[in-house]
Amino acid sequence: MEIIPQLAAIITPVFICVGFGVMWAKIGTPFDSDLITSLVYNIGVPCLILATFQKVDISPGAMAGIAVAAIACYAAFTLIAFATVKALRLDVPSYLPSLMFPLTGSMGLPVCYFAFGDEGLALAIVYFTFGAIGSFTIGAAIAEGSWSIRNLVRAPVIYAIAIAVTLQLTGGQMPKWIFNTTDLLGGMVIPAQLVALGVSLLQLKTGGMARSAFLGVFRLAMGVAVGFAVAAVFNLDGAARAIVIIQSAMPVAVSSYLFAQKFNRKPEEVAGMVVVSTAVSFVTLPLLLLAVL
Amino acid sequence: MLLKIFSVIAPVFICAGIGFAWGRMGRPFDTRMVGALALNLGMPCLAFSALTKLKVSPEAFAEMAGAYALVLACFLVVGLICITVMKLPAHTYLPVFTSSNTGNMGLPLCLFAFGPEGLALGICIFVLSSLFSFTVGWSIYAGRVAADVFYNNPLIYAVAVALVFMTTGTEPPVWLANTTRLMGGLAIPLMLISLGVAISNMRAAGAGRIIIVCVIKLCAGFSVGYGIATLLGFEGAARGALIIEAAMPVAVHNYMFAQRFNRNTADTASMILISTVISLATLPFLMLVVL
Repeated sequence: MEIIPQLAAIITPVFICVGFGVMWAKIGTPFDSDLITSLVYNIGVPCLILATFQKVDISPGAMAGIAVAAIACYAAFTLIAFATVKALRLDVPSYLPSLMFPLTGSMGLPVCYFAFGDEGLALAIVYFTFGAIGSFTIGAAIAEGSWSIRNLVRAPVIYAIAIAVTLQLTGGQMPKWIFNTTDLLGGMVIPAQLVALGVSLLQLKTGGMARSAFLGVFRLAMGVAVGFAVAAVFNLDGAARAIVIIQSAMPVAVSSYLFAQKFNRKPEEVAGMVVVSTAVSFVTLPLLLLAVL
Repeated sequence: MLLKIFSVIAPVFICAGIGFAWGRMGRPFDTRMVGALALNLGMPCLAFSALTKLKVSPEAFAEMAGAYALVLACFLVVGLICITVMKLPAHTYLPVFTSSNTGNMGLPLCLFAFGPEGLALGICIFVLSSLFSFTVGWSIYAGRVAADVFYNNPLIYAVAVALVFMTTGTEPPVWLANTTRLMGGLAIPLMLISLGVAISNMRAAGAGRIIIVCVIKLCAGFSVGYGIATLLGFEGAARGALIIEAAMPVAVHNYMFAQRFNRNTADTASMILISTVISLATLPFLMLVVL
């Protein structure tokens, strides 16, 4: 029974950190989610990208493989989600973004990291980056109902990934002082996001639970199916296969809720989808890991 | 050598600088919330994780604790002499001498100068220093003995559990090691950014005596640390960690205490700001001594 402690080592950190957030909110300590999100996305994530890619040595081919697979997954999510939302006669700006973008950051990254180490983290970051860029541009645009290139140009993540890819391709090394700084600042990303997830699970005002529950479970099932299919089509194996499947199968992203709230697109129902899909994935994630590890 | 020094101090400057810029831009920053997140969740996990990596033996831990207790005793003596000679009130000025910024600034310096071993030794000092501040320092500000803060600090429990693993020489289960390592990543960056924000909101109001107190505090800190490290024959990481931590500027939580007990907050803020600025400016020299 080697697999049980191995699974525990991968999943427990996620549970406990989310649990800290739930406790935090239960005690009633104030938690400024906007501040944490802003620190994480403007400072933490770019630093995490730079530091992680400095630590690992991934061939451009492997990186491109994950990137193409990630794009294929997001394309599949978009098509399936759009068809479903239309078939159910639901409001596109409210439901499409939350079905399209899984929680690849706070939950996907630590799972891939503890399962496959720094290399797993680097590959998971590639998948996550497309999702982060997509949800802050396309996702936000769908919820807002209008398109703006400014969101893309202003995201520091873009510059970090450009620098990281350039360094990786040229085999360049960043100076030690930049590495030390980015490594330190990048360290806050995952724990801060997990605690924030825990806090929001308790504080979200949910509503229309039947439909949210259905859509939340639908998001998970679609994620698993698309993940396995894309991994098979692109002939991925080992860590790359597992990472594409794990990232695809993540629950509804909390950022979808933030946009739903900001643009008033049924935030209660999106919150319900976040809570239900996260709760369900706490049960299904160990099973999924058993299947892919 | 210069490059090595730069790679140790740059993270401190950059992270605190981000906080400073954040504060100056007037973006909202809930210092109390971030402080609680860093100190109540991040720090206990970081302490547990760093101590149980078995880079430091229980003997080395005890030695370092003893050495820092000596440092604190010297600080008390220097502080008492200074406030008596300068006729300053103890409730505002004495804790300034005894509580240094061993967390925000000291820990990243120890980490980048001496790696995981340096971090573990720095944490040993940080634990002792925060215990002292939250009991003795707190009591001096409050004007009465207060010990309940001691029991309410999750750091104590984390260190107690870590000590069990250290003395028995066992490694914690992987799930616990993974969780604490992950969560511990919050502590230092959040504390450094908060430090920058706190400084950006403070104003140095001018009497010359404040500058004198700061200079005495910093010089005494460095000399006491250097003296005790030499006296006890410390070498390498232990010597470096002790000197770095002893030489740190006035701790930011003094401001919180002064506010809470209605002491001279303006003077306290000035002392934190001035001693931090002097310390940042002299960091390269400090590193030259310890590296």
